[in-house]
Amino acid sequence: MSRRAGRRLFWAAAVVLCAAGFFVSLLTGPVHTSLGDLLTFLRDPDRVRAAIFIDLRLARAVLAFLVGAALALSGAILQGYFRNPMADPFVVGVSSGASLGAVLAVALGFEASAFGFSGPGLLAFLSGLGIVSLVYGLSLKRGGFKVETILLTGIAAGALASAMTSFLLFMRSDSYDQAVFWLLGSFQLAEWRQAATIGPWIAACLVASVWLARDMDLLALGDESAQALGSPVRRVRKAFLAMSALLAALSVAVSGIIGFVGLVVPHWVRLLIGPGHRTLFAASAFAGGTFLLYCDLIARNLLPAELPIGVITAAVGAPFFIYLLHKKR
Amino acid sequence: MAPNLTEILFALGLGGRVVGVTRFCDWPPETTGIARIGGLVDPSVEVVRSLDPELVIAFRGNPLRVVERIRRLGLPVFVLDIGRGLDALFPLIERIGRVTRTEARAAELAAGLRDRVGAIDEGLRGVEARPGVFVLLYGQGLWTCGGESYVNDLIVRAGGTNVAAALPKKWVLYKRERIVKDDPDVVFIMARSEADFARGREALARMPGVDGVKAVREGRIFELDENAASRFGPRLVDVLDRMAGLLHPERFGGRS
Repeated sequence: MSRRAGRRLFWAAAVVLCAAGFFVSLLTGPVHTSLGDLLTFLRDPDRVRAAIFIDLRLARAVLAFLVGAALALSGAILQGYFRNPMADPFVVGVSSGASLGAVLAVALGFEASAFGFSGPGLLAFLSGLGIVSLVYGLSLKRGGFKVETILLTGIAAGALASAMTSFLLFMRSDSYDQAVFWLLGSFQLAEWRQAATIGPWIAACLVASVWLARDMDLLALGDESAQALGSPVRRVRKAFLAMSALLAALSVAVSGIIGFVGLVVPHWVRLLIGPGHRTLFAASAFAGGTFLLYCDLIARNLLPAELPIGVITAAVGAPFFIYLLHKKR
Repeated sequence: MAPNLTEILFALGLGGRVVGVTRFCDWPPETTGIARIGGLVDPSVEVVRSLDPELVIAFRGNPLRVVERIRRLGLPVFVLDIGRGLDALFPLIERIGRVTRTEARAAELAAGLRDRVGAIDEGLRGVEARPGVFVLLYGQGLWTCGGESYVNDLIVRAGGTNVAAALPKKWVLYKRERIVKDDPDVVFIMARSEADFARGREALARMPGVDGVKAVREGRIFELDENAASRFGPRLVDVLDRMAGLLHPERFGGRS
């Protein structure tokens, strides 16, 4: 199959799957609804059905799609950035930093909310970005700027943040229920205003990353070669790192930590349509959104009680990760 | 969105107007046919919305995020707290009476319960002995009620002393050595069923060291209906009656 046909096939499949996902999302939930109910509602909207279909189910599906897109894009960016297919949004410490912030807010009872973020969400966002800046700052000081240094500093800082999170959970065992929401992720309380808050940022990052995609392609040749070919390497690197951190932190702030989306989705996409970053970024975002939409469907319908979505993404993502590792050897 | 609230609503004669309860709401038996909205910490916003209630009564144990989400869907939500002592039960009933416009009925219910508690206080007037009580919450490990729990208040009201009262918590995991040292005169096991109670009693009797404490030696181990004792509702007064009768049979003519 030619790459062009493959690409066409990919987009056709993704669009169909995505539309089907939204449709099923609208029809399934703890309250039984049939296609007839949806049609009746469209013809003659009433208050209760409007709340269920629009405010609850559609808002949730849209938010899941947006977060999936943000995570997958963030992952695609970082894999290019580190020239390492095993990178994901969370290796630079965003995840551990954000969970520390969220758990801290829960433990302290910090409940203020702003811009559709809850207190823990806000603190998760800030601490997630904070730890990336810290990691970046530390890596700069260590003479010049090396990708490996960021990676290792990120892992170490992440481990430190995780230790502090565990400590907080241990000290405040009564806030454990709430903390699980942040540690494993959920769209249970999705709202339109959350989607409205993160949507524009995600769109902006997507446009910017596609715009800079050629520079990312050049980085694959090595920083010196890219510089020689006229790419402003340092600025490009900074922009990409900032975008990936922003995307991951926004996701954690609205839905908690959802692992493996950023890791596996760019891989699937790369296998299907090739490594060119321009299409890779756009396709990863779209596929990531669709993937998370389906994961959320499973999370809320598999059992009578809702599962944290992190359980589903990890259950699907981890085996794939292991498979990739072994294929590489 | 909590079993004790459901019980209070039914006690106020509002049973017919309750459209949704949690999966833990099993008292009174008439709750059987009512729609389930999920649990205490995981109520389904969607189900709550679909029932289109005129009023949602939540309590502080429901996650605030869920309560806020329901409120933002345009449903009126009223959040109540449970109290630390039995005295907080009466204002709680009166508040529910106010939001459900059954003030008269609520005042009557509260007054009736107050009278019963008053009768216990009267019966215990001038009592000297305050037997040491250890409450065991049947299940994993030696969970008991600390000084901040309303069960502690029930023990005091019933003329006993909670051996774990010094611990500034609601529910605590107790140490085996401490029970031996405290040497309680009476053990109450909060159990869901006769069988659980029997298992709890066996476990205590077999526990090295604990088998020597006074309550176990003298067989003063009694069952408390966990279902009634763990809900901050009208049935707490039944539990109080039972406790007082068991701790001070001399005062209450052995009734239990």
